[in-house]
Amino acid sequence: MDAVTYPDPKVIKFLHQNFIPLRVPFDAKPLAADFNVKWTPTLITLSADGKEHHRTVGFLGPEELVASLLLGLGKLFFDNEKFNEALKHLDKLLSDYAKSDSAPEAIYFRGVCRYKNTHDPKPLKEGYEKLQAEYPLSEWTKRAYPYRLL
Amino acid sequence: METKINWESKFDKALARAKEEKKPVILDFFNPG
Repeated sequence: MDAVTYPDPKVIKFLHQNFIPLRVPFDAKPLAADFNVKWTPTLITLSADGKEHHRTVGFLGPEELVASLLLGLGKLFFDNEKFNEALKHLDKLLSDYAKSDSAPEAIYFRGVCRYKNTHDPKPLKEGYEKLQAEYPLSEWTKRAYPYRLL
Repeated sequence: METKINWESKFDKALARAKEEKKPVILDFFNPG
C-alpha cells in the first residue's frame, strides 16, 4: 500500500476530500482487539461515532481502493438510513469504477436503497438482473437470487 | 493540495476531527515492519 496505492495522487485527493485518515500499527492497544484485527492491511470505514460500516483485508491498488472507499461511504449512509446519500456514492462507484471488485456489492445495495426509498420491489429485481448479466459468479448475485421472483 | 496522506495517529483525535469536519474516518491497521 505504501509503495503503490497511498502515493497515488487520486487516492490522496479522494482520502482527504472524504475522510479523516487514521493509521495505527496492527498491534495497537486497545484498538486492534476492539476491532478484532488479525491481518494487515485491514481498512475500516468508521462513522464519526466510531461505528464500523465497511472493512477490507489485504492489498488494494489505487482504483480498487477508491472504489472500496466509495462502497464504504455508501454503506455508512445506508446504515444510517440516508438512502439518497448512499445512492450518490454507489452511483459514483458504478459510473467510475464499474469494473472494480466492489461493483457487485454496490449494485446489490443500490437496489436495496431504491427499494427502501420507494417500497417498490422493482429495483431489487433489476439489481438481480444486472448482477446475473454482468457478474454471474459473484456472491452478491447469489444473495440477490430470491429477487428474481419479484 | 496534499502530496501525501496526512495520517492521524490517535483514535480520539481522529474521531474529534470527524465530528468537527463532518467526515467519516478511514482506519488503517498496518504493519510498520
